[in-house]
Amino acid sequence: MSHIKTSMLAAALIAAAFSGAPARADGDPVKGKATFLAVGCFECHGRSGQGGRMNYPAPPLAQLQLPPESLAAFLREGRNDMPPYVASQVSDADVADIHAFLQTLPGPTDPKKIPLLAR
Amino acid sequence: MASKRSDTAAVGRRGFLKGAALSGAAAITAGEAKAVPVEAPKKASAAYPGPLQLAADTERPNADPATQTSSGGDFMTDVLQSAGIDYLFMMCASSFRGLHEAVLNHGGNKPEIIVCVHEEIAAAMAHGYYKIDGKPQAMICHATVGLQHAAMAIYNAWCDRVPMLAMVGNILEEDKRLPGAEWNHSAVDPGALIRDFTKWDDQPANLQHFAESTVRAVRIAQTPPMAPVFISVDAELQENPIEDREKLKIPKLSLPLPAMGEMGALREVAKMLTNAENPVVVVDRLARTPAAMPLLVELAEALQCAIIDVGGRMNFPSQHPLNHSGRARAAIAQADVIVGIEATDLWGLINAHSDRIVRSNRPIYKPTAKLATIGNREMLIKANDQDFGRYQPVDLAISGDGEASLPYLTEQVKKLIDDGRKSALAERGKKLAAAHASMIDAALSNATIGWDASPITSARMCAEVYAQIKDDDWSLVGTSVGLAWPRLLWDMKKPHNWNGGSGGGGVGYNAPASLGAALANKKHGRLTVSFQGDGDFMMCPGTLWTAAHHKIPLLYVMNNNRAWHQEFMYLQAMAGRHQRGARNTRIGTTITDPNIDYANLARSFGVYGEGPISDPKELGPALKRALAVVRNGEPALIDVVTDPR
Repeated sequence: MSHIKTSMLAAALIAAAFSGAPARADGDPVKGKATFLAVGCFECHGRSGQGGRMNYPAPPLAQLQLPPESLAAFLREGRNDMPPYVASQVSDADVADIHAFLQTLPGPTDPKKIPLLAR
Repeated sequence: MASKRSDTAAVGRRGFLKGAALSGAAAITAGEAKAVPVEAPKKASAAYPGPLQLAADTERPNADPATQTSSGGDFMTDVLQSAGIDYLFMMCASSFRGLHEAVLNHGGNKPEIIVCVHEEIAAAMAHGYYKIDGKPQAMICHATVGLQHAAMAIYNAWCDRVPMLAMVGNILEEDKRLPGAEWNHSAVDPGALIRDFTKWDDQPANLQHFAESTVRAVRIAQTPPMAPVFISVDAELQENPIEDREKLKIPKLSLPLPAMGEMGALREVAKMLTNAENPVVVVDRLARTPAAMPLLVELAEALQCAIIDVGGRMNFPSQHPLNHSGRARAAIAQADVIVGIEATDLWGLINAHSDRIVRSNRPIYKPTAKLATIGNREMLIKANDQDFGRYQPVDLAISGDGEASLPYLTEQVKKLIDDGRKSALAERGKKLAAAHASMIDAALSNATIGWDASPITSARMCAEVYAQIKDDDWSLVGTSVGLAWPRLLWDMKKPHNWNGGSGGGGVGYNAPASLGAALANKKHGRLTVSFQGDGDFMMCPGTLWTAAHHKIPLLYVMNNNRAWHQEFMYLQAMAGRHQRGARNTRIGTTITDPNIDYANLARSFGVYGEGPISDPKELGPALKRALAVVRNGEPALIDVVTDPR
């Protein structure tokens, strides 16, 4: 699924370059979690940001390697199945909060350390 | 045709009932009109009620005899046995009481009756059974009211190109119907209800006609492209005596060999594949028999090409380094030759689509890529239901059975590969193996995210189940969790390790079709597991009673995300498009308030149940307990509260 992450990253960075969205790195992860659940992000990406799929794969978001403004750009004009979230639905402040929340989620670990996944 | 429902008899019964009713009414009236002192009841005399009254109560008109020594149903039972029908999935109904009784008392319960509490369950069980056993079975229900219940499951089987013999009881002659329900439950042409999604149907007019049409139906159903067939069975034929058994003949069932594609065209495909730099073979409903998988492996390894298994059948080992189903888009984008073999929706796979305002699409494949198809899907298409998918232009389309065509295609490919080409192909194989390994590594890494979270992730749930069954002769059946994790991370290498999807996507398939598959696995002693979506389950929860009643061993792992989650996501997309109400979409899409207690529900049906389980640490021990029940020959259900995806 690495190609999905790569294409998502590229799309978001390109979009961010044109969005002019303000950068914020001081989001509130508690508020971010509430918004993440309330506006339905978890439906495709999972409560742990583990990813999932609808018609297309929904990439993992835990420990998202994008700045808040890139996440905002992606939210405003998502690709494939991603619903567009306009500012009246999810404000830039909400995006910063969601971004902060995603940084609190544990990302992937070494599967060899989990007996059920070790090969 | 002999008849028990003669006009004389009908008048006689009506007259009797009318007389009885009038007598009762007269007695009440007399009692109300005149107060009579209460007396001790007189001792009945030998003459009471008198021989005339006794005769009136018990005698039947001579034209309507009470007993018989043979029945059409007996002969029908012989026909079903002769046609190889082992199971009759059914919910009892008076319109086929004649056949029902004959199966029990003439046939010795052969075909074996599997009792279902809903006609949709009966048809879906026949569907699931075939996809493990490879042998079509029969279901029967009322005409009209039963068939409309069964129709959804028959439609799934049609889309999945699965054969079954669907039957109804019907009272064809209107002067033989009793008042009331027998009129509501009869139809001139019951097959019309499902003719859009059955391959053939008939309503036999006599017993010889029944024999020939039933054997013909079973043969047509199993001739690729396979599909359900339908027989409407007249109640008079079932119930009444056979006039002359010696005159009735049961035709032998002979199945035609599936037709392979034209040999010259297959040689052309072999050239295309052999000369390509990056050929890709796409398969979906390819495997008709257990022989298909090794045949496809042989072709793939000869070519060292990527296989994309859409998953309509268990076509290709999941962990084979040439299995690139999990990176289909990347493989398609690189391909210079794409060959679809029984690939139901090739257009859907090789084009990208947008679920946005204009629903645009674009090819994923290169404009210069050559495309070919082998299969028989287009040999059975009807106009109304659009299950055939969008038209995909190709360079070479070959009509013929995919599995039957594989040996010759592979033989031709091998002939075209010289030693020089072999080394190039080996290099390609190494690159594909590396890409496959990367795909698996990425999946394993993603599976670790949220490993200890509650609700439980689908990756954790699947890993916990696999750990408990991997050393058994296991069979994963049904469609829930999208099968993404098992198809990526489980070692599926036997034909019964997985049995494909529902076909039509009709909700309500998973529970009964999984049970049908488990019944087929039972005689082989296989351990059957099904991930069961909660939304799907609530369509046919009574399936659990059949599982308990017939002691069919199966573990249902309830993937309980408390929603019709696909619809939840679609509604979110719609709110996003309309720029409003992103926080409202759980209304109408979620199954909460109250939460359903599936374990308790299972126990109420006589099935072992545990849950709800929200803590991932509790899941392994619960599975172990439930699997002990299943290994002991009985069904069990574990309710796992899961994260949506």
